[in-house]
Amino acid sequence: MAVQGIWSGTISFSLVAIPVRLVKAIESGRVSFRLLHSKDYSPLARRMFCPEEETIVPAAEIIRGFEISPDRFILMTDEELESVSPERSRTIEIMEFVDREEMDPIYLDHPYYLVPATGGEKAYRLLVEAMRRTNRAGLAKFVLAEREYLVAVTSRNGVLVLTTLHYPEALLPEEGFSPQKGKIPLEEQNQIKKSIAQRTKDFDPGKYADKRREKLIDLLARKAKEKATVEAPAGAEEEGEGPADLVAALEESMRKLKEKP
Amino acid sequence: MAGATIWKGDLHFGDTDVPVKLRAAVREERLQFHLLHRRDGARLRQQMICAYEKKPVPGEEQAKGFEVEEGKYLLVEPAELEQTAPESSRMIEVHEFVKSGEIDPLFFDRLYYLEPDLADIKGRGFIALAKALKELDVAGICTWAMRKRSYFGALQAHGKTLRLHTLRYADEVIPAESLGLQEAPFSEKELKIGIELIEKLTAPFEPGKFQNEHQEKLKEMIAKKARGEKISILPPRRLKPTEPDQLLQVLEASLKKAA
Repeated sequence: MAVQGIWSGTISFSLVAIPVRLVKAIESGRVSFRLLHSKDYSPLARRMFCPEEETIVPAAEIIRGFEISPDRFILMTDEELESVSPERSRTIEIMEFVDREEMDPIYLDHPYYLVPATGGEKAYRLLVEAMRRTNRAGLAKFVLAEREYLVAVTSRNGVLVLTTLHYPEALLPEEGFSPQKGKIPLEEQNQIKKSIAQRTKDFDPGKYADKRREKLIDLLARKAKEKATVEAPAGAEEEGEGPADLVAALEESMRKLKEKP
Repeated sequence: MAGATIWKGDLHFGDTDVPVKLRAAVREERLQFHLLHRRDGARLRQQMICAYEKKPVPGEEQAKGFEVEEGKYLLVEPAELEQTAPESSRMIEVHEFVKSGEIDPLFFDRLYYLEPDLADIKGRGFIALAKALKELDVAGICTWAMRKRSYFGALQAHGKTLRLHTLRYADEVIPAESLGLQEAPFSEKELKIGIELIEKLTAPFEPGKFQNEHQEKLKEMIAKKARGEKISILPPRRLKPTEPDQLLQVLEASLKKAA
């Protein structure tokens, strides 16, 4: 599987700096379908398009604009955006470590992998192992495009995982949803506990993924028998790469989620 | 302020049914930027481009294909896909329970709060379930269909409340092995100091102390530009990577600094 780079920079803790790349950890999707052009069966690629010039716009010609009044934009170049918090745009500085047990999963947003860049392998391996043994997560802030992310860096299966966290103010209050009063007869409470205990097993997420694919695989198997495949024209290659930054990658994954059958 | 009600249904396992409402738990506010064309300031749109003709393709000329081998596709009609969509139901089926700590955090996706529905008289089932999940320290693994999609999730108690986290499907998680990372040896001494350093830098988890300062600074910069003031460009701070043969010294210096 080709792993797409989203960002590159360094991750640091105290005086140690490790060059790294940020790559996807989640491939939002399903039995993967491609969008095709029904006329020539060429695959389709999602690109930014200029309606004025009717052209595909390469990344170098794209600029971010903040709309201050209808159709009036304040343009911000990448350099200007990086100047807002220059200490955080190319560096993920671990400010402190926390016990993983203390981290409420309510804060977790989206995970990515961090992979070492050339020359960083040794310090990377050391950090992976030291975090695994101590069961700690490193907390850091970093800025990508126009957003600042609070992130947790953890060690998992020999790889560093960077998970963006929700800022506490983004979490809506949880109180008020539970019934405040209500006495449950002891017998009823024990009954429900017993029923739960009987059904407690090991976490095995694979079986749910399999169920989800079953229907689609059935459909495809049936179709493969009935119908021939179509072929893309030669030279229908995809140009360029996908989203250039985390924001775009996030939006892409959200969009994919919505597109799921 | 509480989030909007998103869905209503019954939590179901064994002989137990608990009517609940799903509420949004997260509300993110951020400055929204648009992507513009540098040359003419036109607002850009995302379009599906035919890789062969290099032209945008309208929705009615788009088809779905499953790639059987490179460049060869099995066409699938929208109506056929529709048939594989889950039947809508009003039930969150709890299939089994697992120890809370067993769920790999990588699987957690979206979070909802559950609220007892009025159909649950005085919320008895809700209270009993929350209490049992908490006492046993387990999460209910459940599936349900909502908005034509199948969801897989974890039901957990937090205090007296219930949370429902949707889980990512196992085949959506890119396996770490596929990254092809190489081993790189380090010494026992380096590891020992690394561990000591991490322990020295450990603090209690208090996410409240981290503010999004950047958002305010960004607003200021936009206001400055709107007034026509010049923005000073600051180069991003780039750290010099620690050389592999310097790692021990740097770790020792870090430890000294942390002491």
